Amino acid sequence: MASIMRPAVLRPTAMAARMVKTPAIRSAFRPAIQKEVMSNAIRASAFHTTSKRDILPPPPQVIQGGVNDPVPIPDPSPSHGSYHWTFERLLAGSLVPLTLTPFAAGSLNPTLDAVLCAAILVHSHLGFQTIIVDYVPAKRFPTARKISTWGLNLATALVGLGLYEFETNDVGVTEAIRRVWTA
Amino acid sequence: MAALRSTSARALGSAIKPAFRPAMFVRSMASVSDTPSEKPRMKTFQVYRWNPDTPTEKPRMQSYTLDLNKTGPMILDALIRIKNELDPTLTFRRSCREGICGSCAMNINGQNTLACLCRINTEDASETKIYPLPHTYVVKDLVPDLTLFYKQYKSIKPYLQRDTPSPDGKEYRQTKADRRKLDGLYECILCACCSTSCPSYWWNSEEYLGPAILLQSYRWLADSRDERTAVRKQALDNSMSLYRCHTILNCTRACPKGLNPGLAIAEIKKQMSF
Repeated sequence: MASIMRPAVLRPTAMAARMVKTPAIRSAFRPAIQKEVMSNAIRASAFHTTSKRDILPPPPQVIQGGVNDPVPIPDPSPSHGSYHWTFERLLAGSLVPLTLTPFAAGSLNPTLDAVLCAAILVHSHLGFQTIIVDYVPAKRFPTARKISTWGLNLATALVGLGLYEFETNDVGVTEAIRRVWTA
Repeated sequence: MAALRSTSARALGSAIKPAFRPAMFVRSMASVSDTPSEKPRMKTFQVYRWNPDTPTEKPRMQSYTLDLNKTGPMILDALIRIKNELDPTLTFRRSCREGICGSCAMNINGQNTLACLCRINTEDASETKIYPLPHTYVVKDLVPDLTLFYKQYKSIKPYLQRDTPSPDGKEYRQTKADRRKLDGLYECILCACCSTSCPSYWWNSEEYLGPAILLQSYRWLADSRDERTAVRKQALDNSMSLYRCHTILNCTRACPKGLNPGLAIAEIKKQMSF
């Protein structure tokens, strides 16, 4: 807590704490062990030349099992592993012709437009999912992981709904881009 | 070279003045241009220091200035000379001093490499900064804790697994083409330069295996004599072990042996999906 405060602001406080902490009156403050710990933290952070802004400080090292044991091998789940990766690549690859076709052909096919929208939606969902898996490790931040995953699902559903509305009741994505382009 | 010189001087007794070192004699014999009264070429090395005996003390950078005329050409020579002559408390791992053992892996001027294969930059007078491998738990000074790295290496079962004996009861033979598949893989010395340069490994080292271990994984997947390819692949078939690789290729850039872990990982991914 103390570490996020600015050192310049903390320095006078720390000086005061040091003044108080003479051996004679120290015994009077003995029961307030909490206070002692707090003042130590303030003093430490006050003399940092730069303020600490560790958003996710590294946890202490934990070695599971003995030094000579191998790390546990996770259960195989191809839907999160090889199938997932292959699907991701095929989808990303298919986006290239899907994006180019309507502009190259010059015609507007609602089905093709819908397919393009769905592909982009799933592609970006998978991309954001990768970011979450990378930066919000499930072991260290189980709650944050759950929240961000469901947040992403919600966002994808919302965008999907919006695209559906846009495709059915409006001009559709390709036509909208064309109009903006030639506007 | 410098290290040898200083230790031999030590062996001869500390009473000998530096000016009378036997190396001085050798040098004048070795080359004509190398005059003993050369202008000293001073170079400053900033080295990361942290002592586990005083854990509350913050890590700091300590400067050491050496005369490059009396130092060998590599960073490791400089470190050994610092330890021998300036500061015996400086701690680092080293063994073979020729890029075979992988002990002296460290971060030199922002690049993970082996100190014994990294030349001291004599062109400019800027300070050389030496840190332990990034995102590792430091044991002391330049010594990182590689326990997890070795445990991960053990988990891929880095040995030949097969059930059928060889047809003639002799060694398991393979064709020249099959043997050639292992070139660029078997040379890895597990110095951890690549793994600790990988951002994905920084964030997820508990679960992601990292480039060095995956290169070794591929070494056993590519081996024509191994019969557990399916099991090995299955062990990698989850979201974390292999697929946290995003082809950043810091590994390939860092490898002091010139190997290509990025390519090996791409080959594993290809094998797994098609």
